[in-house]
Amino acid sequence: MLTTPERIAFLLLALASLLLTLRGVRLIVRAIGRGYGRPSWGVFLRRVIPVSLDILLQRPIFRTRPLVSLLHAGVFFAFVFYGLVNVLDLLEGFNGYSTLHASGVASAYNLVADLLSVAALLGMLGLLLRRFGLRPFRFNRAVFLLPSVRFGISRDSAIVGGFILLHVGSRWAGQAVRIAESGRPDWSQPTASLLAALLGGLDAATLAVASHVTWWLALGLILAFLPYFPYSKHIHLFMAPLNLILREEKPLGRLEPPVGNGQVGAARLEELRWYQILDAYACIMCNRCQDVCPAHGTGRALSPAALEINKRYYLNRNLNSFAGGTASPPLLETATSRAAVWSCTTCGACVRICPVGNRPMLDLIDLRRHLVFAGDEIDPNLQTALESLSRYGNSFGKSARQRARWAKDLPFPVKDARKEPVEYLWFVGDFASFDPRMQENTKTVAQLFHQAGLDFGILYEDEWNSGNDVRRVGEEGLFELLVEHNLAALGKARFRAIVTTDPHSYNALRNEYSALGLDVPVYHYTELLAELLERGQLQPSKRLQAVATYHDPCYLGRYNRITAAPRRVIRALGLELREMPRHGENTYCCGAGGGQIWMDSGGQERPSEQRIREAIALGEDVRYFVVACPKDMAMYSDAVKTTGYEHRLTVIDVARLVAWATGLIELEREAAPVSQS
Amino acid sequence: MTLAVILKQVPDVVEELAIAPSGTDLDRDSVSYVVNEFDEHALEEALLLREATGEDVVVVGVDTTGELDQALYTALAKGAQRAVKLVGDFEGSWLSTRALAGLLAPVIRELSPRLVLTGVQAPDDLDGQLAPTLGALLDWPHTGVVVGTELADGVVRVRKELWGGIMLDLELATPAVLGIQAARATPRYVPVGRVRQAMRESTIEEVEVETPVESAPKLSRLRAPEAAGRAEMLTGSPSDVAERILEILRARGLY
Ligand code: SF4
Ligand code: SF4
Repeated sequence: MLTTPERIAFLLLALASLLLTLRGVRLIVRAIGRGYGRPSWGVFLRRVIPVSLDILLQRPIFRTRPLVSLLHAGVFFAFVFYGLVNVLDLLEGFNGYSTLHASGVASAYNLVADLLSVAALLGMLGLLLRRFGLRPFRFNRAVFLLPSVRFGISRDSAIVGGFILLHVGSRWAGQAVRIAESGRPDWSQPTASLLAALLGGLDAATLAVASHVTWWLALGLILAFLPYFPYSKHIHLFMAPLNLILREEKPLGRLEPPVGNGQVGAARLEELRWYQILDAYACIMCNRCQDVCPAHGTGRALSPAALEINKRYYLNRNLNSFAGGTASPPLLETATSRAAVWSCTTCGACVRICPVGNRPMLDLIDLRRHLVFAGDEIDPNLQTALESLSRYGNSFGKSARQRARWAKDLPFPVKDARKEPVEYLWFVGDFASFDPRMQENTKTVAQLFHQAGLDFGILYEDEWNSGNDVRRVGEEGLFELLVEHNLAALGKARFRAIVTTDPHSYNALRNEYSALGLDVPVYHYTELLAELLERGQLQPSKRLQAVATYHDPCYLGRYNRITAAPRRVIRALGLELREMPRHGENTYCCGAGGGQIWMDSGGQERPSEQRIREAIALGEDVRYFVVACPKDMAMYSDAVKTTGYEHRLTVIDVARLVAWATGLIELEREAAPVSQS
Repeated sequence: MTLAVILKQVPDVVEELAIAPSGTDLDRDSVSYVVNEFDEHALEEALLLREATGEDVVVVGVDTTGELDQALYTALAKGAQRAVKLVGDFEGSWLSTRALAGLLAPVIRELSPRLVLTGVQAPDDLDGQLAPTLGALLDWPHTGVVVGTELADGVVRVRKELWGGIMLDLELATPAVLGIQAARATPRYVPVGRVRQAMRESTIEEVEVETPVESAPKLSRLRAPEAAGRAEMLTGSPSDVAERILEILRARGLY
């Protein structure tokens, strides 16, 4: 029980603290409100229950780092329960209500509170030990950081961690003091009773003082902490669930068009959408996104985490003026750098892994849109590619009339879908059509379709690049141009479904074009191959006895969750599939996406080379590095040479393996597997 | 003051060119046009000058293709202030450089620019006559193979590239006509959205001109290049190779 002056002091402090906190929160709401658009309450209502359940089960956190996630779960559950504990403790202070030595439900409550206190203390100690001892925060040297961030992250972590330790610790110790005062252990609070045993020697007056002090340290501390709360990363407690709940259920592969009213992309914080500003507040600074980022992983200037953290620290320092409507400095001065913006492969790994639902990639694309539209200098190779795309519809600088040249070498004609109806319209894609190394694969796919009796055709010179990567490079106008062209061409053809070779085209057609008027099923060729094999339309005559690993393309595996079909094909051929640690939706980028294939990566180790090493580490007996994307074929054929593993590992398109098994083609001697007829 | 840039469209050689049945012209239905690459550099150089001095850039072209608008809008999107298109009855003929200069000269005089920039050469003007002819007609100083410019009071300082990498710095009194070999920077990228914006928001000024009476030589026949450059690698022992060389020379009547 508190004394009357203590009660008055507590109430006054509580009032002051709440007012200050409220002010901070209101500023934050206003800051987020400066972004474009508004959250949809329909989405909120639809998602609040399922997403809250996810959060209670800590699902978004357990996507990676199991041990750390367990620590977080400990702290999290303790925290949720501590809401109740704090209310009851408040009651105890004000009118003496106590669950000490109680029985029934109250004893169960005591037990949970007691055990969770210890769990939270250990969890927090573990997390702090990790942050400050085992794995301190690190960024590549080239990563742009606000000066306040360098020191700020540790300070913020220390304050939040210290608060939790002191708050929970004092509460726990307070219980022990009260148990000691009562003179006998409370079996519903075993750990506190243990501590109480140590305090047994203290006299009654000391214990009485200790009881007051621990109460104030537990509850008074909250009042001191509250006004800091909106500025601390602890605010993720509210912002992260909000972020997760308010996120529209749109495919990741469908980008929002620029906001309009003449603005293309975003140069400043306030030119982002509201949820991109919210991201900064939801960010818990865990760096998970950075760990999976292929750009950061290869020493480049990009860290998606640093981007969010910079945004947050900028806001923290300038909240008043920003919320008040002052124009903020360019994001390229406060959040990230040009080099970083141009190193993103739009692989989506950061978005997938982020436990609080952040999408740093979208900021990078908005920045690119801005830079491209503002006429900022772009990589010369990228410029050449874009100019060629807008002129010829392909990035190879070749006449559109040469697009289907590969088809001339086939022993059968490929139907022109503009002239006769077909069941499947094959959208071949630029790389598969123009890259001389890829054309062999393309012919193989055509032969397989033919062999299986599939009714298919192509658009010949009327197929243009789908624009998937053009959009992700930030050239929105060119993307629109390509879409208009392709939609017109598709409109001229009659077909039931589209099949693509290229996962990037697949993503564009399925997710972007569908939002712009295309309404047909879209398949990846691996889906078709799997079905043709299973239905017996393709009959392997030989079994491949070898160990293979399969690389999921980002735009297939992560973006569109097509992970089973290629594996079904590989297994149907008799191959033993051995997975790389990063596979399926957690696949690692080959480094070609988001327009990187047209840019100069700058000579560091490439993601594709790291990937080859990952495959090599699976064991001596892995013969095949199987791919299902023409760009992967290009990237990994290079990487396997530059890493010197050319003779150990064969990079091969899944279609080539199928064609070999069905007797369509022969493989070069070193590529051929041990076979049994 | 203004900087005038002359833009000319030429056939895109990425597409296959075909000769029309008349034998004296390209098959115009299958030709697509691009802006002469050197003219792109002239425009870029003008835009760089504008950034330094604030001059207005006016692009001028004779519409011999019926498709010049695209090139002019692109130039506007890149940052030119005005676009002037000379129209007339040019269908079915290639204008000679001399005729082109004749059409352009009065229009340019009217614009009274500080500088006229054009590409140093074009596929149909391989000797780079446009700048000198224009200079002569206007009676303004001119020079070609320019790789850098700088405007000063009443003069333009230009850098020309001579043989063997030797550079020559010149000063010309303005107004002057320059044939640009290369701009100081790669011609900038213009986003498609900007071109579309220019098409919505800007207008191209049109000037009606008389078809010139040609005194140029008459074209009698156009021919595709003969397939050339067939290479054969000779392998085997030195005496085999020597034997083979002799055979080849004999076959061609050279030995
Ligand atoms: S999308 Fe991929 S490359 Fe881009 S920031 Fe995220 S993880 Fe890094
Ligand atoms: S953006 Fe997400 S994954 Fe990255 S540091 Fe912040 S919370 Fe962690």
